[in-house]
Amino acid sequence: MRSFVRSRVVRRVAGTLGTLFGVAVFVFVMLRAIPGNQITANLGTEAAALTPAQQLALERYYGLDQPLVTQFFSWLGNLFTGNFGWSARAQQSVLDLTLRSLPVTFELAVFSIVLALLIGVPLGMLAASRTNSARDAAGQAVSLAGLSIPAFLLATTLLSVFAASFGFNPNGQGFATFLDDPLLNLQQMVLPSLVLGFGIAAPILRTTRAAVLEVRADDFVRTARAKGVPERRLQVRHVLGNALVPIVTMTGLQFGYLLGGAVVVEQIFSVPGIGRQVLLGIQQKEYAVVQSTVLVIALAFVLVNLLTDTLYRIIDPRVRAS
Amino acid sequence: MPRGVLPAVGIAAALSLALTSCSSSSGSAPGAAASGQGGGTLVVGVTSDPDTLFPWKATQFQAVNVLQNLYGTLTEFDKDLNVVPGLAESWETSEDGKKVTFKLRQGVTYADGSAFDSADVKSSLDKLMDEKTAAVARASLSSVKEVQAPDPNTVVLELTGPDAALPANLASVNLAILSSDDTEEELNAKPNGTGPFTLGNRVANQSISLVRNDKYWHDKPKVASIEFRVIPDESSIVSAMQSGNVQLAVFNDPLVAQTAQGGGVEVAKTPQLNYHVLQLNAQHGDLKDVNVRLAIQCAIDRKQVLDTAALGEGEVVGPITSPAYKSDPAKRPCPTRDLAKAADYLAKAGKSSGVTVKAIVSQGEYATSVNEAQNLKAQLAEAKINLDLEVLESGAFVDRWVAADFDAAVALNGGRPEPDGSYGRYFTSTGNLNKVAGYSSPELDKLFAEGKAATDQAARKAVYDQVAAELENNAAWIWLFSGYTYTATAAGVQGFVPMANGSLQFLRTTSVA
Amino acid sequence: MTALLRRSPAGAAGVVILVVLAVLAALSYLGLLPYDPIAQQPPSRFLAPSGAHLFGTDQFGRDVFSRVAAGVGNSALIAVVAVAFATVVGTLGGLVSGFYRGIADGAIGGVTNVLFAFPPLLLALSLASVLERDWFTVAVAIAVVYVPIFIRVTRGPVLSLREIEYVRAAVSTGQSRWQIMLRHVLPNITSIIVIQVALSLSWAVLTEASLSFLGLGTPPPAPSLGSMIFEARSLVFVAPWTLIAPGAVVVLLVVGLNLLGDGLRDTLDPRNRGNR
Repeated sequence: MRSFVRSRVVRRVAGTLGTLFGVAVFVFVMLRAIPGNQITANLGTEAAALTPAQQLALERYYGLDQPLVTQFFSWLGNLFTGNFGWSARAQQSVLDLTLRSLPVTFELAVFSIVLALLIGVPLGMLAASRTNSARDAAGQAVSLAGLSIPAFLLATTLLSVFAASFGFNPNGQGFATFLDDPLLNLQQMVLPSLVLGFGIAAPILRTTRAAVLEVRADDFVRTARAKGVPERRLQVRHVLGNALVPIVTMTGLQFGYLLGGAVVVEQIFSVPGIGRQVLLGIQQKEYAVVQSTVLVIALAFVLVNLLTDTLYRIIDPRVRAS
Repeated sequence: MPRGVLPAVGIAAALSLALTSCSSSSGSAPGAAASGQGGGTLVVGVTSDPDTLFPWKATQFQAVNVLQNLYGTLTEFDKDLNVVPGLAESWETSEDGKKVTFKLRQGVTYADGSAFDSADVKSSLDKLMDEKTAAVARASLSSVKEVQAPDPNTVVLELTGPDAALPANLASVNLAILSSDDTEEELNAKPNGTGPFTLGNRVANQSISLVRNDKYWHDKPKVASIEFRVIPDESSIVSAMQSGNVQLAVFNDPLVAQTAQGGGVEVAKTPQLNYHVLQLNAQHGDLKDVNVRLAIQCAIDRKQVLDTAALGEGEVVGPITSPAYKSDPAKRPCPTRDLAKAADYLAKAGKSSGVTVKAIVSQGEYATSVNEAQNLKAQLAEAKINLDLEVLESGAFVDRWVAADFDAAVALNGGRPEPDGSYGRYFTSTGNLNKVAGYSSPELDKLFAEGKAATDQAARKAVYDQVAAELENNAAWIWLFSGYTYTATAAGVQGFVPMANGSLQFLRTTSVA
Repeated sequence: MTALLRRSPAGAAGVVILVVLAVLAALSYLGLLPYDPIAQQPPSRFLAPSGAHLFGTDQFGRDVFSRVAAGVGNSALIAVVAVAFATVVGTLGGLVSGFYRGIADGAIGGVTNVLFAFPPLLLALSLASVLERDWFTVAVAIAVVYVPIFIRVTRGPVLSLREIEYVRAAVSTGQSRWQIMLRHVLPNITSIIVIQVALSLSWAVLTEASLSFLGLGTPPPAPSLGSMIFEARSLVFVAPWTLIAPGAVVVLLVVGLNLLGDGLRDTLDPRNRGNR
């Protein structure tokens, strides 16, 4: 038994390391496939005016004169010593930048997911309780709105309406972390998580509706109903409990996506999150910034997956039984 | 070419302007500066923080704007782009034009308290000329043979030949004077200049604050500090102005600027030196033939490009946009569109059946590029010239541009107050951008040399009129139009003077209620 | 099809919307549009909608109706190809991963994680720079982003299904694994896949829009709904119809796709049917 556990843990850790290495190689290669480098990113078209000697001096300055393999392994090696690289633009180490931006995005993602679940799950259950009824139509309308209104549109609308009409624009003030100023921080999180949460509520609502419909048709629910289990208890304990697997899958998926994919909302609301850090790194061709940050996001992703898988085992009687 | 418009910001900006405008026109914006930003701090909304704080390598718009307020240069521009004294109190050119003597200002100190003297000037200029420094403006000093510092208040530049453009070139922050004790590494972390402000607090990707330099040699800044606040999306800057969080911002997009107007926010429009152009590469394919280039010249109605791509916000220009040397756009072959003439030129080139020209276009770099390209394509098609558009992400565009790997390029190029600075590098055979310009001629080499040698303003104007004529008659490029920048200020902000080169140097004269 | 129309009013509505849009697209393919969608007529710039120009004209004097019709065709083509690719590859990946577990699961899971953890923007940028740029490249770039989603969405349910009695029973009768996967497992995850396809199609339309804006989408002047929206985004004050027309059509397309997806699911799913 113990050896079984150990081998599972070992496999899991090995798999995770493999994934991370894959991400490292992939991001390294993809970055260099994009035209331009830090010199042209910094100087723009002025780079055309560089003399060959100047070009050489700059390549040495940015470490671009090293062979690619050397660049890759020196970056990877440095990671193990806690050196994630240096951002010349920000004049800060990537580690420091990440320690500041990751919690911001994490906070935003948590708020958004909570909001999405609060909207999506009850509405999804309600819609499933009677298909093709008015409730169902209402749920559909909400989810269609969430799907077809692009986030950037909703974000700018909310921002400009609140700013122009009510003078409410906490995001126009400098960003405050929760530790700096909790009250301002929470205010600044309201609109962005509303926008993200609304968008994510749609897939969660649909998944909930579909999963509930599917579970309800299962034999054990019918049996329970036949046995006279009260309807509310039936809905929550039996139906929702068993519909949780796809809901958890979808939630985990969306959470992971938010860690790297909230860029647009971060841009509009000036939230200095990790998505923006990657974007700036790409634009500035600061390879170390992008590589290390993407790796951090990947790690977070893997951890979320691990959590999702663990949750399956807890909530799904069928997986648990195995 | 100005940089710094972020592609992804665009995603964010998409569609949204509309809503911003609707709500702003509905009125009830609160008065500005309501949120405790008053006192002595001016908040400036910017879309990005500086990509470097080292003045000799800064080309990004936002970086130049910040650094100009931190560092001093030997000469400066006044609001009309005339050259005026800066760290050099006065200067004198010898009879033969080969020697310039600068008298330096006394009692100037750096942010760290150390004194400024001729040793700093000599060490700065020497390092700037050294290729290993990789300074972007090295070519501005190409006429300088040697720098001497005979005494602490005097600097003498020995030139290889007369260079009337030198004083204007020295006004660029890319030639800022640094203390001889400082290294690039140190200055990246902690700027140390002689400018009106010193660096305060900086939070990467969020804000950068400048604090008034009480020992500044000129008029002291009116505000105690300036915060450049990073708000990546332009329409979010508008919202921040409406809610009173930001007091000043500069926009390039007329439609964004329009939405900012009202509720105490005022918007002023300033003509720009930057020009929109269809660059032709006369070293490539069919464009080697001047007749093909002239056919293109004649087939384009520039006003139509301006009206369709930029909604008429700007003016049709010739090559030189600097007010003192401005070219007359009517003096060119086919000042109005002439398809018959275009056909004649094509016939002369033996290409009556038409030609194909491949053009690179950047997307996301500036708002109007793709629109310009589409209209140019449509217009040229009517003259049997097929403009084959290759729309590129801005990094890819820069790569191709730098390598001169194009027949034609739709571009927005930076103009300078001094025409030699603008075009000498493109259109002289030894110019460092000549490869990209794709055109040079003995006549142009001669004219640019004359322009540098002439000291009299009227004589120089005459020379650069000839330069412009030479460029247009050979259709080296197709110059299209110049746009505006829009400065939005909240109520209570006074004394800011926008400049045609986009400089924010007059933040030092700005006050906030 | 008739079953769908009879059983599900939502699905019927979706079909009607999509048929209308398909007719529009067909008009553009057959060259039956009132105007050439890329011909510029600067004198008739910014004309408001009228009999001559149903949806008005844009800043180049191009007919917005013709451009929208051509745009629907282009956008739909990209979205359908991208999602079809992602569905096939992703579902197979998820099936294999969930059913075989072990090494296959590890390998597929690894690739999925790598792709997932990757910023889509970076992925799109790199792909677009490496490949020749046309509509197919755009479709591939979008597909690569969606493959891992399909893998992830199918794998979880497959994991559960594999433990269910009748699947176990099938195993014990000695059917091959592929037979079991295709005959017993796949039908049970159809509804999940169909929802995901509908969702992804609408996302793909929106993604194509974002890519167009970055200079990575459909190359101009050929219209796509996304590029039209982005070109018109700043014109809403001057000529709102240039934005409203493609915007409304995108929403219609997205809504139509989703309604159809719902209808299909309600109709196809055997258990759902029994439930009525």
